[in-house]
Amino acid sequence: MMSANQKTNQCIATCPACGLLCDDVLLENKHNKLQVLNNHCAKSIAFFGQKLSDVSPQIAGKPTTLAQAIAQAAQLLKQAKQPLFSGLSTDVAGFRALYNLSQKTNGNLQHMHAQSMARNMNVLQCTGWQTTTLTEVKNRADVIVCIGTDIVSHHPRFFERFIQKNGMFINANQRELIFIGENISLQKLKKDALEASSLLACRAANLPEVTLVLRALVAGKHLKATTVAGVKVSDLQAVADKLKNAKYAVLAWVAKDLDFPHAELTIQNITETVAILNNNASNHSGRAAGLPLGGSDGDTSANNANTWLSGLALNDSNAAHDCVVWVNSFSPEKSLQKSNKPLIVLGNVNSQFEQVPDVFIPIATPGLDCSGTLFRVDSAVILPLKKVRENDLLTLSEIVREIEKLL
Amino acid sequence: MITLLKNGKLFDPARNKNGVVEDIYIRDGHIIAKPAGAEKISQTYDLKGKIVMAGAIDMHSHIGGGKVNIARMMLPEFRETIKYSEPEAHICTPNCAHNATPTTTETGFRYIEMGYTAAFEPAILPINARQAHLEMADTPMIDKGGYAMLGNDDYFLRLLSPNGSKKSADQKAINDYVAWTLHATQAIGIKVVNPGGISAFKFNQRRLNLDENNVHYQVTPRDILKSLSRAVNALGIAKPLHVHCNNLGAAGNFQTTLDTMQASDGVAMHLTHIQFHSYGLEGDKKFSSAAAQIAEALNKNKHITADVGQILFGQTVTASGDSMMQHLNAKYANPKKSVIMDVECDAGCGVVPFKYRDQNYVNALQWAIGLELFLSVTDPWRIFLTTDHPNGAPFTSYPHLIRLLMDKTFRNEAFAKLNLDAQAMSNLPSLTREYSLYEIAIMTRAGAAKLIGLNNCGHLGAGAQADITVYTEQANKEAMFAKPDYVFKNGELVVKDGKIVKVVWGATHVTKPAFDIGVEKNLKKYFDKYHTIQLDNFKISNNEIADNGRGKIVVNTKGE
Repeated sequence: MMSANQKTNQCIATCPACGLLCDDVLLENKHNKLQVLNNHCAKSIAFFGQKLSDVSPQIAGKPTTLAQAIAQAAQLLKQAKQPLFSGLSTDVAGFRALYNLSQKTNGNLQHMHAQSMARNMNVLQCTGWQTTTLTEVKNRADVIVCIGTDIVSHHPRFFERFIQKNGMFINANQRELIFIGENISLQKLKKDALEASSLLACRAANLPEVTLVLRALVAGKHLKATTVAGVKVSDLQAVADKLKNAKYAVLAWVAKDLDFPHAELTIQNITETVAILNNNASNHSGRAAGLPLGGSDGDTSANNANTWLSGLALNDSNAAHDCVVWVNSFSPEKSLQKSNKPLIVLGNVNSQFEQVPDVFIPIATPGLDCSGTLFRVDSAVILPLKKVRENDLLTLSEIVREIEKLL
Repeated sequence: MITLLKNGKLFDPARNKNGVVEDIYIRDGHIIAKPAGAEKISQTYDLKGKIVMAGAIDMHSHIGGGKVNIARMMLPEFRETIKYSEPEAHICTPNCAHNATPTTTETGFRYIEMGYTAAFEPAILPINARQAHLEMADTPMIDKGGYAMLGNDDYFLRLLSPNGSKKSADQKAINDYVAWTLHATQAIGIKVVNPGGISAFKFNQRRLNLDENNVHYQVTPRDILKSLSRAVNALGIAKPLHVHCNNLGAAGNFQTTLDTMQASDGVAMHLTHIQFHSYGLEGDKKFSSAAAQIAEALNKNKHITADVGQILFGQTVTASGDSMMQHLNAKYANPKKSVIMDVECDAGCGVVPFKYRDQNYVNALQWAIGLELFLSVTDPWRIFLTTDHPNGAPFTSYPHLIRLLMDKTFRNEAFAKLNLDAQAMSNLPSLTREYSLYEIAIMTRAGAAKLIGLNNCGHLGAGAQADITVYTEQANKEAMFAKPDYVFKNGELVVKDGKIVKVVWGATHVTKPAFDIGVEKNLKKYFDKYHTIQLDNFKISNNEIADNGRGKIVVNTKGE
């Protein structure tokens, strides 16, 4: 894809640094170093700015040949009775390869975001939900309530791309943003997100109560209390009224930010609020939808692929294991907690370690060193990733195939 | 390398072979004419007394894509149903399977074990097409393909709508957009689901009748149907517009279905899962069979085809693009959970688990309505055997369904076990027709291939893909169709005595009609302004399907 004023060393790429998968990022490649020229954010600049270090495969911290590292990895997997494949930060093809390897080695799979993913899956599997996707938000949403999150910490360009733009059925100046939660700077959001923003400050730990009251108010219940967890009920009633009067209300949350016990019940309060708003019998004239956000490191891709391959969503298994395979393509700064089990790392060339792995094999990062495919955070859109710099790294699937040959 | 299948009794309706004993020669994955004497036969199967048909083709089965995967994700308890050996309903038999959410591997395996060699996903959301193809790429054994959903996407509705300064676009712009969509999504047909209704639901409309306006666009489902069916017809593709009518599942909806046939204006149209659209309002419960009226109209309108969407009893899940009607039906969810989604100004989806019970009046009558339709529609080339997998029942119930069609004693025994009020409202026992093997072969092979426009499938003549199923004739047709003796895929023996002996990967069937690429100019503007991805990333390349050599694209052309 080249536009007329694009130079030959430039391309429009898809950025896998967060779940939004912005595919309008303009890159320039100078001597195999990448610079983001346009449509950037802090995350994409860091992602495409990663060094291509010429790190070699390692056994116990010592450089070795690829063949020896693969042989050693296969040996450790053969010895293991039940390995754990964790991290799983990869794309669809990488995950499919890992899934097959786990089947062959009696392994279990656990994504680095397993805990927060499980919060959403619990709700999906208990009551289901009514949700929407990013293009619908951009073109329809008039009232957007962000619960327990500022969103931008996860998706820096969320407001720029979907809220500040005029949509097909709504202009940006007709929208209203409401934040509920802690550590949220209204001043900053008014400036960066939307002037028409408001905040109901409340501690994250109080979100279960606050969302429950909001749900009750939307359902038309009357409360005797005048405050709940420090929030005025009249303020929550005002939010409920806005939701009921909205043409297309969106209630967004980030499971990772709801980091307290039984957060799934808070998410359920949100999704059931949506269900009440959409109920024919309720007294209002618009639509509503939930919007789970926050995915990254290929979690949505791994979850979807695991579901069609095994029939089940990825769970937070924390299974007993006697060997760990840590796979991390996208976020070299994230490393596994220390463990006393044999450790194989298949990772980004800049991988950082808490402990020296028994085997380390550098792999190509999809969207940077090789092409690939990822699911966007809303699961509806699946995008191709490009190879944007020269390198001779093997892909995760290629490494896995070599390991399998020796099993 | 030539393989010879000799002495088999062929049921090959595409070539008018009704139980004719004839030899079949296979070379390089295809059926060939009898070779010259010099060529060596490397392998021979003696099929004396065996029934030989082309591999079966499921023309409507939800085998891949977003909503199917949501169903799997939402219903972990369904994994248990794989182990069920006890019947779920009074009329279940050992071959009734209850797994409504098979994995991609299970999907391919269960199909090929029954002698099916191709299945078509009927509801690919264009924006989600990449997922559908990823899942189909992981589905072994069978060929696959799909129909792209249009008619609720805002791009199309803006073209059709008289709103705004410009008058509605000419038919050519719509034709080009439809063709472009077929290319971009790697599909072989076009489907419309609840025309205009999925969009209307996003504007808070809760029902939409054929002549009712979508409040925003001021166009009716009838306008949408006419425009899309004209486009599909003008492009010269084989597959007629695949129509999921408005008012899915609603009592009294048969009138909408009859009106939809009339709205076709003589242009070929396929009405899908018509059982769910054949309900009257008679009786104390205001729910009755309108199968007779629908069948009469189908018999009269030769340009209309339909598949049934038979329900069978037990636990399943309904996965549909029809977010409007699925939201309405969610109150009947069993277990009590559902997913409803608005998707990308493109379409929607609704996933609602259902348990059909033979002692429930409505469910029992739904079962009878489906069979009444099968038995009352006279032309087997225009009615197709489906359960709308998994919506009416898992596709693994097909052998059971085939027996219901071929064996009136079996059918009447089953009927006698139904809810008594439902029995009183059905004329099923008076329908004494029994389908022949030849008619089953039309419905599940020759007719399906003709409808979809598969150039080299669904028959056993020279040039055909060597997808061949061999059965032993049995009085119990369920047992016969559940477990073929042999299944050949592209000439290779892949199933023997109902068991898989070799894993292979099928092709993806598509069609690529010519169109004016100038359509991309407006699409690009629209994408840049309203969408959230680049136009180029919407399009699925041939390489993505080829998947490092495991997949393959077959382009089918009308009239070849």
